[in-house]
Amino acid sequence: MASDQAILLVTGTALLFIGVASIGVSKNLMKSIMSFQVAVFGANLALFASGLGFGSRLVSDTFVALSVLVGASVESVGLAIVVVVYRKYHTLNPDEIRRLRG
Amino acid sequence: MTSELVPLLLSGALFATVGAALASTKVSNSLIALFYTSMVLGVTFTVYGDAVLGLLTMITFAGAISVLLLSVVLITGESKLDLGARKLAVAAVPLVALTVGLAAAIVFSGQGGGQGTPDLSLAVLTFLWSSRPWDLLILVTVFGAAMLSIITLLGGED
Repeated sequence: MASDQAILLVTGTALLFIGVASIGVSKNLMKSIMSFQVAVFGANLALFASGLGFGSRLVSDTFVALSVLVGASVESVGLAIVVVVYRKYHTLNPDEIRRLRG
Repeated sequence: MTSELVPLLLSGALFATVGAALASTKVSNSLIALFYTSMVLGVTFTVYGDAVLGLLTMITFAGAISVLLLSVVLITGESKLDLGARKLAVAAVPLVALTVGLAAAIVFSGQGGGQGTPDLSLAVLTFLWSSRPWDLLILVTVFGAAMLSIITLLGGED
């Protein structure tokens, strides 16, 4: 049977790819931000799982803590951009925004 | 058996909540599902011996970011928190309650998810403070840049 580390590593990597793929196909900027959050979750889980098999997990855990805080900062800036875009174009559909820009 | 069941259950809960978040057509439903994803991820970190990371994830993502997302959803009027969202919230409660309950039972019974890892709660913070001060400096810089960007973005509009 697969170890805990392998299961969590596969899950984290899968979540990362699902999030990145969903950013590309999303037709709503809010859903894109949520997909980014899923990708951050996947990256955090993969980083965490990478340290499970070793004696000291301090480095991997430290990077997860940094990743959580940097991800939250980036996401808050993304949400501010979403608000600004909505104020200007009154839509969150990227295709519609592109069409309105001309 | 238990050590194999725990990561599979946690992974299943993560995939279920992420699937609900991304497959839902309503933004409010996605928001609720993402809240549960944050909770399950925090429980995963806690089960594997790092309560600080679990709490950090829950406070940051399930708390602050969820409220930010909810504010933006309400500002933009993209979705109303109607009966459908409440139904999804109620439907997801047993899943999360089962996961959290099982994780708590394992933590308190001392089985610790199969790896036998100690609680690193204070060790991570001590290591970060003493051995990686540049990471903290970078983090403060990123926070400052993020706040400046938000002020510039939202303050320039009339």
